[in-house]
Amino acid sequence: MQIEDIKKLANLARIDMSEDEMKELAKDFDPILAYVSQVQEAVKLKPVGQEETSFTKKIEGDYFLHNVMREDIVTNTKGEYTERIEKQMPDTQDGYLKVKQIL
Amino acid sequence: MKIDLKDLTIEQVHQSLLDKDYTVRELVDTYLEKIKEKNGEINAYLEIYNDISEQVKIAEEMFEEGKQTLLTGIPIALKDNILFEGHIASASSKILENYKATYDSFVVEKLKKQGVVLLGRTNMDEFAMGSSTETSAYGVTRNPLDQSRVPGGSSGGSAASVASDMALVALGTETCGSVRQPASFCGLVGLKPTYGAVSRSGIIAMGSSLDQVGPLGKTVRDVEIIYDVLKGHDEKDSTSIPNELRNYSQKSLKKRIAVPREFLQGEGIEKEVLKNFEENCQKLKSAGYEIVDVSLPLIKYSLAVYYIIMPAEVSSNLARFDGIRYGLSKDADNLFDVYAKSRGKGFGKEARRRVLLGAYILSHGYYDAYYNTAIKVKKMIKDELENMFLDFDAFITPTAPLLPFKLGEKLNDPISMYLCDIFSAPANLADLSSISIPSGKTKEGLAYGIQITAPFLREDILFTIGKDFEKLVPKEI
Repeated sequence: MQIEDIKKLANLARIDMSEDEMKELAKDFDPILAYVSQVQEAVKLKPVGQEETSFTKKIEGDYFLHNVMREDIVTNTKGEYTERIEKQMPDTQDGYLKVKQIL
Repeated sequence: MKIDLKDLTIEQVHQSLLDKDYTVRELVDTYLEKIKEKNGEINAYLEIYNDISEQVKIAEEMFEEGKQTLLTGIPIALKDNILFEGHIASASSKILENYKATYDSFVVEKLKKQGVVLLGRTNMDEFAMGSSTETSAYGVTRNPLDQSRVPGGSSGGSAASVASDMALVALGTETCGSVRQPASFCGLVGLKPTYGAVSRSGIIAMGSSLDQVGPLGKTVRDVEIIYDVLKGHDEKDSTSIPNELRNYSQKSLKKRIAVPREFLQGEGIEKEVLKNFEENCQKLKSAGYEIVDVSLPLIKYSLAVYYIIMPAEVSSNLARFDGIRYGLSKDADNLFDVYAKSRGKGFGKEARRRVLLGAYILSHGYYDAYYNTAIKVKKMIKDELENMFLDFDAFITPTAPLLPFKLGEKLNDPISMYLCDIFSAPANLADLSSISIPSGKTKEGLAYGIQITAPFLREDILFTIGKDFEKLVPKEI
């Protein structure tokens, strides 16, 4: 990993970092990536067949495909959480969250 | 009256409260005194909650009205990533230093209904990233059994609180070993429930496909009691197992336990740890269990799989900390810099490392080689273990490949730190239940732990074998 690669990633991740830290990370990444690259040899190994009697096979088909998303309707009472949430905001105005110019 | 906290269990406390040997107030005060005495050096707690008296009052009223449960009045510590409405939850990070939870996590809601007394929030590795509680933005936590050593992580504060009698039980969370390993390091029982058994609603997320809340306590029974209260479907957690699926018929024990022999032969596994493990295999044999060596060639890749999937999920999960709606916010001229400065200042080193690693793994050109491959291998590992469970109740290993190390010892060697969880990883990846149980002490008083892993939703196997095993380990002072 080069420091340029780290700079790109820091940009993607929206994290400010010093040159020194980016240099250190570039060094740290190589052994970590080397370690996790083992998965490329693992995936080539022979997978174990799964018997019909295993738990997940039993419930497959009945339960695996069902929608867990809730209905897109309002379930809170108006204002129920507003004060609690507003208290956490760094900058507000007239009940709105205030942010920097986007456009 | 003077209450001796050392060997207390939930059931004993419950009986004492019923018999009026002492009141909830006296019990909680005893713990608060202990906290005053010890927390300065150990730093298990980051904060003692300011509403303990109200909680005590509620518990005492429950007793007066005859509405008490087994957990009413029990003093419990919460890991700093578990939301408790109105109280700070910071995940031991600067970016959430003053964040006050706006709602209760499911587990806190459940505990409140029982009338427990939540004492405070415990120290952890920042955003649960670590195996030693050394990446916390609020100082390290010391192992009560030897204060020059780590308590393990990331739930080190929770483990240290129970091990030093500053709480009777504690809640921690696991993504890869973060309940079991500190439990082992501090001489406690720690449970990782099956993924989906306990709701993740209100738990500050690290790896959403792996996270689970787990109890830490001094006995298997205490951990079982907490688990029984916490488990259950929650519609706010879409990965939470529906209740109808939890009642499938459970067969009785085969009394056969597997030992993945090759897995224990890797380098970096301390000799004394292996020796203690062998002694404990013999103990289980004497209790009537058949201990059989098996070959599980894929599980040794679990940690590598974890260190791909977890950073990927972390980089997504930590994107919400942006200085906009809550948490640390650094002012800047433009929006991008608000994000970059807030996150740059708010995240610690390990958090930054993992977010970047995740971004890399998910990026164009690397997604297939790393993330997709890891997902495939995860499924292969799960299949391998499910196949083994057709013939066995459980498999066992030491919980950690090493004894608790000295503070600072592994800070410059990330991989050496990551390897602490080598034995824990398979259970997290394969959606299994797993428990760590104290299995002896060294001459210097450091704790060993044995780890039992059972199939999906078979916590009952863990409790049965665990209680049998507990009887075989001598109780030292």
